[in-house]
Amino acid sequence: MLNLVEITLKSILRDRVFHGIIFSALVFLLIPSVASLSMRQMTELSMNLSLSLLSFILLLLALFLGGTHLWKDIERRYTYSVLTLPISRSSYLVGKFLGIAIFIFAVACLLGLVAAGVVVFSSGIYPPERPIAWDNFVAAVVLDALKYILVVATAFLFSSVGTSFFLPVFGTICIFFVGSASQQVYDYITAPATTDISLFTKKAATVVYYLLPNYSAFDYKVNAVYGVPIAGSGLLLTLAYFAVYALIVVALAALLFEKREMN
Amino acid sequence: MALLACLCALYAAIIVPFASYMRSKPFAEKLGTLPTVATLKFMSADQKLFVGSSLVMKVIIYFGGLAELAKNRIIIPPDYPAMSRTIHAAVKLDPYNIDAYYFAQAFLTWDARQFTIANDLLREGMKYRTWDWYLPFFIGFNYAFFLKDFDSAAQYYRKAGELSGQELHISLAGRYMQEAGQTDHAIAYLTVMAKGARSPMARKTFETRLVAFKQVKRIELARDAFREKHGRLPSSLHALIESGYLADKPVDPYGGEFFIAADGKVGTTSKFAFKGDDKQPGNKGGTKP
Repeated sequence: MLNLVEITLKSILRDRVFHGIIFSALVFLLIPSVASLSMRQMTELSMNLSLSLLSFILLLLALFLGGTHLWKDIERRYTYSVLTLPISRSSYLVGKFLGIAIFIFAVACLLGLVAAGVVVFSSGIYPPERPIAWDNFVAAVVLDALKYILVVATAFLFSSVGTSFFLPVFGTICIFFVGSASQQVYDYITAPATTDISLFTKKAATVVYYLLPNYSAFDYKVNAVYGVPIAGSGLLLTLAYFAVYALIVVALAALLFEKREMN
Repeated sequence: MALLACLCALYAAIIVPFASYMRSKPFAEKLGTLPTVATLKFMSADQKLFVGSSLVMKVIIYFGGLAELAKNRIIIPPDYPAMSRTIHAAVKLDPYNIDAYYFAQAFLTWDARQFTIANDLLREGMKYRTWDWYLPFFIGFNYAFFLKDFDSAAQYYRKAGELSGQELHISLAGRYMQEAGQTDHAIAYLTVMAKGARSPMARKTFETRLVAFKQVKRIELARDAFREKHGRLPSSLHALIESGYLADKPVDPYGGEFFIAADGKVGTTSKFAFKGDDKQPGNKGGTKP
């Protein structure tokens, strides 16, 4: 298993994914100039743009690594040769997933440091009215990384049954948008003021809400940018939600991959 | 290689007229129309703060562009309804964005004359920015200066005073507000705004208005001194200068001429706006203190 994690990480680096990240990260250098356009919240805008860029890079990585990695290995017939070794299909899938998850987390930490540097630089030029909530900033970066690891898990679930990269990539994009909005829809439908929706629709929406990944739960940008306090219990629940949901999705993907026909 | 060179030459030939066309595109077209807030929220996924900030920036840059043109005597009336729609959408995505409230306060009140809309927006912001004294200060000022509702103004000035601990806000909420004229309110407000403005464009806007109101205050003091001595209002600004109550003729930075109305109120032909700012439908011009 550890060998597979190592091989996955090496293969990601071999594909020059890291070069792409460094190239994208150059945009961080422009953030202080863009933030200077703000009228009253330069540091806040700087952090907002930095965290948004970090999220965007992680989204691209999660989509393309999660959506194409497994498919590419099958296409190159690399999977077949590995599976001739004494290793189960599920261990193979879990090893691959862990490799990408570790890579996503490492990139999030690295870009988080760059983002922190940008914020420190901006706050040196335009001191903020309120102190920067660094603990919230760290929470936002870590939770963002976990969110995109969950995106990778979803992409692996689609990859375990898909025969091309279309289903993993586009399926994951759809789930990402729906999962980012599911909380809003759930809040609206279950609000006591909403009376024009039938009980059946409300129940159905609740079931869908429980089934879909809730990506909005991992969004702590507002707390980081504006120093809005984070409830400790809520954070713990979110971490627990991540652990359980990710385990279920990966286990399901492994199960489907075990049963998949491979010629 | 020859083909590539040809294409590059073609691109060079097109890019200048293209850039010129884009630059001259009507501003309202550039500001564009927005999808509904629900659609924006769905489409922006986990980038709501970014999209919210981008919308605010879009409006600021649009308005800044018009101000630049106005300096060069090219007057294009701002599309205030579109600006208002965009700012309202932005705060639905990022309700903490102080740029949105700060800018909305500036253009919705002085320029677009939409005081109630401005106060509703600011009140919404107060639910989120619970630490920020600027929002109740703005509402208090709007009530006192524009809506003449001094009880409501006192309530919000008091809130601003509680949050900021600043003597000015506390005194505005109390005795001072009843005694102070509208010009004093304007000067107090504009001093705070100009002091807090970080962008040169915003600071310049507030400082210009502050200069205008300080001139009004000068005239008011001279008028009051004249009335005290002669028992009547001066017939004109010229009379104040001739009788020595004003050392020189006050200059309106907006390019207008100050005057004293029949009821004694001091006004200016510019209505505290650069020429062309009051051509927007629904905008009845600048404020007379």
